[in-house]
Amino acid sequence: MRKPVSRTPAWVMPAAVVGGLAVVVVAFLIYRYYTTPPAPTPLKPDVTQQLVATITSLPTSELDAIGLGSANNRIQRVSGSALTGSTGKPEVFYMGAEYCPYCAAQRWPMIIALSRFGTFSGLKTTSSSSTDVYPNTPTFTFHGSTFTSQYVDFRSVETSDRNQNPLESPTSADQGLVSAYDSGGSIPFVDFGNRYAFSGSTYVPDILAGMGWQDVAIALQQQDSTQAKAIVGSANLTTAAICKLTSDQPAAVCTSSAIQALEKKIG
Amino acid sequence: MSPTPVASWARPRLVAGVASVAGIAVSAYLTAVHYAGAVPACPANPTINCEAVLTSAYGVIAGTSVPTSVAGMVWFLISAVLWTRAMRWAQLAWSAIGLATVLYLVFVEIVKLGAICLWCTAAHALVVIIFIVALTWRPERT
Repeated sequence: MRKPVSRTPAWVMPAAVVGGLAVVVVAFLIYRYYTTPPAPTPLKPDVTQQLVATITSLPTSELDAIGLGSANNRIQRVSGSALTGSTGKPEVFYMGAEYCPYCAAQRWPMIIALSRFGTFSGLKTTSSSSTDVYPNTPTFTFHGSTFTSQYVDFRSVETSDRNQNPLESPTSADQGLVSAYDSGGSIPFVDFGNRYAFSGSTYVPDILAGMGWQDVAIALQQQDSTQAKAIVGSANLTTAAICKLTSDQPAAVCTSSAIQALEKKIG
Repeated sequence: MSPTPVASWARPRLVAGVASVAGIAVSAYLTAVHYAGAVPACPANPTINCEAVLTSAYGVIAGTSVPTSVAGMVWFLISAVLWTRAMRWAQLAWSAIGLATVLYLVFVEIVKLGAICLWCTAAHALVVIIFIVALTWRPERT
């Protein structure tokens, strides 16, 4: 006599599908863990200095040819009492963090743009967090650097290191700027003398994925590269905002047709 | 005479139909956010970051500027139409295509981007629900 055939309970199939998907997700997580490259070792100071010199001496013809490039114009006009720095000049204020990939992306154009108005010293290479989105994005840190210019003051706050340990604390005045112009608290946050401000990065950091600092520097010298179009475009946008603060000084920088066009764009 | 399905599939049809309509709504929201240049309502931390996912190279259909959510909207729309009739194999095949796409997109989120988009996850969950309904529902035979 045959045994009666027992039907599979209704919950078995859905549970098998969900269980199978959970296994696949865990496999993806394990794969990511083993394929995420370790944090690159920062460059030595003399190599870093050479790197900064390379990216801050891109030919004017290249800067002008790229214009806005592929950068996303996030700059907003803001109103408030003029923000001046310790030497009484209009201040560009930056707040970010070393772990943040968007800050990592934005430092490249900021350094290129500000170096058209002055000189950085003490910049060091670093990379964004290994465990955040766009891991190990190559960049510099403003922590420990100085900027001198006869046109603008620059002040930066890097709130955390790449491992999210506290690094620098914003003052209450800094917090006031963030509250006023960056209500969402997104970083990076950049304030141009309380006349313009933006938060977030003006291009997507994934274009720097897998690249070293020198790879980026080489790409920046090729005006048709994806990196040059984004980073130089963003640098031009930043330059235009600073030119608005300095009444188009220095003229050699601010009166170029590309910068003038971008000044009109940001209003 | 071949056996014919009876009309006892109202419940699976309801579940799959509601999931399809919900999927259209989620995809439409993400599409609207894309074209508005806005950021979707979503927490942002090292693990969950809708903006990072949606603004990545995978946020648009390869080689176009059309957001991936438009493909999702089309998929859910066709799914909704399929579930108006008792066509088990078509429903199963279509939902299997959806599930394979979901697996690829989850791979992209976890391995390539290292960030999860909650809105996308909601749409993925709806695809999984539709797949389970298609897989488990069998027409009763007379």
